[in-house]
Amino acid sequence: MAEPHIRLTSVSKRFGPAGQNPPAVDDVSLEVPRGSFTTLLGPSGCGKTTTLRMIAGFYEPDVGDIFIGDRRINDVPAHRRGTAMVFQDYALFPHMSVADNVGYGLKLAGMKTKERQIQVAETLRFLGLTGLDARSPSQLSGGQQQRVALARALVMKPEVLLLDEPLSNLDAKLRLSIRDELTSIQKQLGITTIYVTHDQDEAVAMSDWVAVMNAGKVVQWGPPWDIYYHPRTPLMADFVGTVNLVKGVVAAAEGDAAHVRVGGEEIVVPGDWSSLAAGREVVLSIRPESLRVTAPDDGRAQACPDAGGGATFSGEVVRHTFLGRLMRYAVRSGDLEWLVDQPDPGAGAPLEGPVLVRVNATRVHIIPDAG
Amino acid sequence: MRVFVREPTLGLTAFVLIGLMALFIIYPQVQVVTVPGVGGYERFFRSGPNWIRATQNSLWVMTFSTTTAVLLGFVYAYAMVYSRMPWKPFFRLIAILPLLSPSFVVAASYILLFGPRGLVTYYVFGVSPNILGFYGLWGVQTIAFFPIAYQLIADVMSRADPRLEQAARNLGAGPWQVFWTVTLPLARPGLVAAILLVAIYVVEDFGNPALIAGQFTVLPTLAYGLIIGFGDFAGAAVVSTILLGLALSMYLVRMRLEGRHGYVTISGRGSSIPRPPVPALVTWVCFGICLVLAGLIVLVYGVLVLSAFVEAYPFNFQPTLKHFVYVSTRFNSLRNSLVYALTAAAICSMFAVLLAYLVQRKPWRGRGLVDFVAIMPAAVPGLFSGIGYATAFNQRWFDWVDRGALITISMIFWNIPVGYRASLAALQQIDRSIDEAATSMGAGSLRSFRDVLLPLLRGALTTGFITTFVRAITTLSVVIFLFTPSTTVATITIFQLVNDFNWGGATAFTVSVITMAILVLTVVWWIAGRHVRLDEVAGG
Repeated sequence: MAEPHIRLTSVSKRFGPAGQNPPAVDDVSLEVPRGSFTTLLGPSGCGKTTTLRMIAGFYEPDVGDIFIGDRRINDVPAHRRGTAMVFQDYALFPHMSVADNVGYGLKLAGMKTKERQIQVAETLRFLGLTGLDARSPSQLSGGQQQRVALARALVMKPEVLLLDEPLSNLDAKLRLSIRDELTSIQKQLGITTIYVTHDQDEAVAMSDWVAVMNAGKVVQWGPPWDIYYHPRTPLMADFVGTVNLVKGVVAAAEGDAAHVRVGGEEIVVPGDWSSLAAGREVVLSIRPESLRVTAPDDGRAQACPDAGGGATFSGEVVRHTFLGRLMRYAVRSGDLEWLVDQPDPGAGAPLEGPVLVRVNATRVHIIPDAG
Repeated sequence: MRVFVREPTLGLTAFVLIGLMALFIIYPQVQVVTVPGVGGYERFFRSGPNWIRATQNSLWVMTFSTTTAVLLGFVYAYAMVYSRMPWKPFFRLIAILPLLSPSFVVAASYILLFGPRGLVTYYVFGVSPNILGFYGLWGVQTIAFFPIAYQLIADVMSRADPRLEQAARNLGAGPWQVFWTVTLPLARPGLVAAILLVAIYVVEDFGNPALIAGQFTVLPTLAYGLIIGFGDFAGAAVVSTILLGLALSMYLVRMRLEGRHGYVTISGRGSSIPRPPVPALVTWVCFGICLVLAGLIVLVYGVLVLSAFVEAYPFNFQPTLKHFVYVSTRFNSLRNSLVYALTAAAICSMFAVLLAYLVQRKPWRGRGLVDFVAIMPAAVPGLFSGIGYATAFNQRWFDWVDRGALITISMIFWNIPVGYRASLAALQQIDRSIDEAATSMGAGSLRSFRDVLLPLLRGALTTGFITTFVRAITTLSVVIFLFTPSTTVATITIFQLVNDFNWGGATAFTVSVITMAILVLTVVWWIAGRHVRLDEVAGG
C-alpha cells in the first residue's frame, strides 16, 4: 500500500443529543493511500456520506482526528482544506454560466481573468464540454451537468477529490460510460479520490480500495476482489452482490485446505484454515457465478473448470430467470436452495427437472463467524 | 459557536447583527414594560375604570371587525380563486390599493362621505349625524382590513390542488359537499392566519379610532391620550403593555398553528389544472359581492381624490390644484417619508436576508432565540414600538443620532419579520450543497453568501424591500412619538391636517403619498425584472 494521504483516527459523529440517536459515524479509522481511488460503500444511513462530509469540512467530528498528509485538519475551515467535492445533485450555481461555474474557484484564488479563461477552456476541453461555456446549467443534460460539476472540481487541481454519489442521478447507460471516464481521468491525474456510493457494482468496478460501512462502522477494508470474494460477515457477503450463504460443519482443517461438510457432500476449500477446529459450524459464501448447472446424465462429460475439491449436488430446478447475458437458476437440493448464474444461456443446460449443481471449490469462502 | 471561531469575520457579523437586535428590538420593549415600575402598575390598575373600559372596547371591536373583515375577505378570495366571474384583474388591483395607503385614510374618507358635512349625509340627504363611535369604527376597520384577509386566504386557496376537488366530484360529491368537505378544510390554514393577523391589525389600529371612535376609547387611543393630554408616559406604557399582551398572544397562537414559519405557503404556485366549475348562480353572487366591495373601495379612494382636486369639498366642486400647491410648501414631510422608507427598506431587507442566512445555514447555540427575536416585531403594536423608542432613545446619551435616523431605525427593526421569513423560506428551497460547493472551492461563508446565495435570494430580498417600504411609508403609530418638525413624515402631516379639518390638504397629501408609493413600486418592479407579488405585502 502506498503512503496514506488521508487518515481518520477513531472518528465519531453523532447528530442530535446523545442517547437519542445512534452515532452516524462510530469510531472509524481509515487510511486512504495517496493517488488511490477509494470507495466508501454501504447502504443508506450507514455513515458513508457523513464521513465524506467530515473530510470535506462540512461536519465536524465529535471525537477523533482527520489528517491530510501530515496536517491535522479538524480546525481548518472547509474552504481552506484543498479538497474539491462533486455533489450528488451537482450543485451547479444556477445563476452562472458554465464557464463562470468552472472558473469560480480560480477567481476566488485570485487568478487573473486571462489565465483563468485559459484554464477553464482547457478543463472544459479535457471533459469534452467545449462550446458549452456560455450555457446556463439549466440548458444542459444530466450527463453534461455532471461533467461541468466534475470540471469545476478538477480545475482547482485539488489534492483530494471527493465524490458523493455523483452518478446516482444519471440513467443506467450514461452511468456506465461516465463511470469508465471517471476512473480513467482519475488514473491520468493521479488525484487521491474518495468516492461514496451504495452501488456495489460501481464500487467493485471503479475502486482500488473499498471500505464497506454499516451502522456507522467500517466493516471491511480491502481491494474490491477481497471484498467480493472474501466477505468478513454473512451480512457483507449479502450486501456486496448476490450470494449463496450455506451452513456447513468443518470435518477437518489442514494447512492447505479445509474439508467442510455441506448437505451430505464434502467441499475441500483450499487455503490456510488451520485455525478452524473440526466440528465447528461455519457459513460458506459462494457466488452464483461460481456454480454451474448440468444435466444429470452428462455430469461427467462436462468437466468442471477445476477438478479438485469441488462438489456436486443433485437437485431440481425451482425456477429460472433469463437475464440476457446469463440464466439465473434456483435449484432445490434437499434443504438447500442454490442460486446459480449460468453463463451463455443458449448453450442448452436444462431449464427444468432434475439437474446437477457443481461447485468450484477455489471460489468458495469460509466465514468462520456463523453469526 | 465553533463556526464563528473558525471564521472570525462571520462571528463578527453575527455579533454585530445580534447586538443591533438587542439594542433596537429588545431594549426598547423592555423599557416600555419596565418603565412604570411595580408601583406604577399598581397605581395604574387601581386608578379606575378607564383602562378596563378601553380593554373591553379593544376586545369588542377586535371581535366584530375581525369577524366581518375575515368573512368578507373569505368571500372575496373564494370569488377570485373559484368562481368564473368577469373583471378579476380589476378586482385584484382594487384589493391591493388599501395596502398602499395608511389605513386611517379609510376613516378620513368615511367622514368625508357620511360625516356632519358628508357628501352622502349632508349633501344628498341634508342631515348632519354624529357618526363618532363604535359602529363607524367597525365599518371602517372592516373595509380597511378585509383586503389583508383576502390576500392571505386567496394565497392558501390558490395553492390547493384542483385535483383534490376533481377527485371529490369524481367520487360523487355535489358542489355544496365539495365546498364543505374539501374547499373549506383546505383553506383553513389561510383562514386561521387571516383571523389572527387581522385581529392584530385591528387591535393595534390607532389612526382609525383616533379619527372616528370619539368617546369609544380603545387601548391605542387611550395610550396616546395619556401622553398627549397628561404627559403620562408611565400610564401609556402600562396601557401599551396590555396591548402588546393581546397582540403577542394572538401572534404566538398563529406561530404555533403554522408551525412557526409556515414555509410551505410561500413558494410554488398551484398547478394549472382548471378547477371544477362552480354553479353559475354562485359565480354571479360572487360577482355581485365583489362589485359591492370593490365599489366601496373605489368610493373611499374616489372621494379622497375628488376632495384633493376641488376647491372646497363638499360645497364647491370647482377643480383646482391649490391643495397640491399647499403640499409643495410642506414638501419636506413627503421627502422625509420617501427617504426614510427607502433607506429602511434597503437596510431592512439586507439585514433580514443576512440574518436568515446565519440562522438557517449555520449551526450555533442561541440561534433559536435569535430567530424568535427576529419574528417578534410582527406582534409588536406600532404604538408600543413608538413609545418604546421614545422612552429608550429620546435620551441624552442618544442625542448624537439624528432623529431622522432614529425614525429610519425604528422602521427597519419593526419590519424585519416579513423579509426574514421570506428569506428563511427561500433558503429552504435552496439545497445546502449549492453553498457547500462554493465553500469547497475556497469561498468563505460570507463570500459564498454574497456570490451564490444572495443572487438566488433576490425574490426574498425584493419581498422584504417592498413590504418594508410600504409599511414604513404608511405607518402612523410607529413614528407619532418620534418625529420633530424637521423630521416629520407624510402620515403625520395627513393626521394633523385631518385633525385640523384641512380636508383639501389632507387628501392632497394622501393622493401624493399613494402616487409616490406606486411610482416607487413600479421602479422596483422594473429593476427586479421578475415576477414580484405585491400581495405579499399583507404577509405580516
